[in-house]
Amino acid sequence: MAFISVENLVKDYRINSRKKGLLGAISSFLIRESILKRAVNDISFTIEKGEMVGFIGPNGAGKSTTVKMLTGILVPTSGSISIGGLSPYRDRKKNASRMGVVFGQRTQLWWDLPVSDTFDLLRYIYKVPEKTFKHNMEMFNDMLGIGDFINQATRQLSLGQRMRADIAAALLHDPEIIFFDEPTIGLDVVAKEKIREFIRFINREKGVTMLFTTHDMADIEKTCNRMVIIDNGVIIYDGTTNEIKDRYGRERSLIVDFGENPGDICLEGVTICGEGEKKKKFTFNKSEVQVSSLISRLTQEYSVLDLTIREPEIESIIREIYEGGIDFDKSLSGICQEVVSEQRSLQN
Amino acid sequence: METKGTNKIAEFIYLFFIYSKLNTKIMLEYKLDRFLLAFAVFFREIISVVVMVLILTRFVHIKGWEMNEMLFLYSFLFLSYSLFIFFFTGIRDFDDMVYNGEFDRFLIRPLGLMFQIISSRIDYCATVGHGAVGIILLLHTAGSAGIEWNARNLLYYITALIGGAIIQASLFMLSSCFSFWAVKTTNLRNLIFFNSRRFAGYPISFYPAVIQKMLIFIVPFAFVSYFPAQFFLRKPDIEMFWSGYLYLTPVVGAAMFALVYAFWRLGLKSYSSSGNSMY
Repeated sequence: MAFISVENLVKDYRINSRKKGLLGAISSFLIRESILKRAVNDISFTIEKGEMVGFIGPNGAGKSTTVKMLTGILVPTSGSISIGGLSPYRDRKKNASRMGVVFGQRTQLWWDLPVSDTFDLLRYIYKVPEKTFKHNMEMFNDMLGIGDFINQATRQLSLGQRMRADIAAALLHDPEIIFFDEPTIGLDVVAKEKIREFIRFINREKGVTMLFTTHDMADIEKTCNRMVIIDNGVIIYDGTTNEIKDRYGRERSLIVDFGENPGDICLEGVTICGEGEKKKKFTFNKSEVQVSSLISRLTQEYSVLDLTIREPEIESIIREIYEGGIDFDKSLSGICQEVVSEQRSLQN
Repeated sequence: METKGTNKIAEFIYLFFIYSKLNTKIMLEYKLDRFLLAFAVFFREIISVVVMVLILTRFVHIKGWEMNEMLFLYSFLFLSYSLFIFFFTGIRDFDDMVYNGEFDRFLIRPLGLMFQIISSRIDYCATVGHGAVGIILLLHTAGSAGIEWNARNLLYYITALIGGAIIQASLFMLSSCFSFWAVKTTNLRNLIFFNSRRFAGYPISFYPAVIQKMLIFIVPFAFVSYFPAQFFLRKPDIEMFWSGYLYLTPVVGAAMFALVYAFWRLGLKSYSSSGNSMY
């Protein structure tokens, strides 16, 4: 059986609707009108032990609500969640003792106290044995450089330091599963890379199951092999990052700097747009036109100063998916077929 | 099995101690600020007492109550509130925890929720501020009101204070239950709690029957100040009430706490987290 299994998960929120203007505010104060909003609509998926899964989706798509239900913060309206045989809200304490959570936007460290104080407290809360505690602290020191600032108050740390300390705090008790909520938000490139490296290391060495929510596609690409895209409370894609890239990232572009104005160029299967007098952009489908033959033709016929090949980034693919620009190909293994057809019928 | 139970309690006490240590450390971090705050609380409360004394000296005694007896009654309010704050600051600040998302963090820790709420905060300033007023009033009035501190009275006094603290904790917790549905409830609480508390600063026999009933059965502040004070003073107006009330403070406290706690558990199911501030 899968480590995490989620079946037909639904979460409704009751939202008080407020009317515009002062009169509206008064009337909604007197008569409460509430509307039911379905944040998560019948989601099912499974995750195996040791997997790293990235949850992405536009803001308000329902991914946060899903993660809140998985961590036991929210009680589902209907459906079932099982994490290693436990229900996150019914067996809250038991489940919590083997789970770690990192919130990028909110720290679990005591704001006015040295980082070491929080670690001491956590050590007692999770009943971490002396030996494990020492061993883990050494590891955090080696890999995250915690030792440099462990005696400083949290409020005096830089964001990068704080995030490293937060990740260490969530890992102190050797959890079996970790939830990362935007673990690299606001960090610089070097700090981001350092954290991703550490996350990969922990997954590899300890076989910890990991779930991410993030808006940074590089996080997903560099750490997760599986990606779940949620939109409007339903899963619209669940599969590997490579697959989606292969399928929708077939378009290549070649940017060429010519020595002199090449005049009009006509090539089959290639669209050309000028980016300047001596600079042209050639766009083509990689399965129809070979880059090598294109380049050799160009260099033979014209004087070429510089060449750049661009492949679409996953980010731009995802952007198109969010904006509804990509119609999913139903043959792609990760596509949730019913959902796609259902959404279409809703739109029509 | 039993040793396991006691072990667990020992663990809880130890963890509570660690939390308190951290809270104390934070307080020491802002020594001057916290000292001034405690001073401010003390002054605010002592002024309310002074105003009361100034007004009452014009009437000297009302329904047979002397000034020192009134102040003795008043001291119960301060001391039980101080005790309540010392142990249950977290219950007072619960809606704040819901509002800023701290409660979400409690839900993902392998500890009881009530334990975390209670142990995560201590407001020393309010404890000291209210406590100091209470102690000053008690020291000034207990002697002149003729209270004899034998073992029986001392035991009654302590249980009455603890019971009073728990009654107030239950009232705060009741209002905090509504934070599960409405998030911010501070004003509802202030409306119910602090207005009733103002009534309870005087003997309830002064009031019309409706208010007396309210202070006994609905917002039972009568058990925090009036009945415990009457146990010692035995003023003639006690005839108005059933004599059993004098001993009910801890019972009312325990019953209320159990009832409110059940309601709180119910509300927890409707908890919807503070929106999207977290994810």
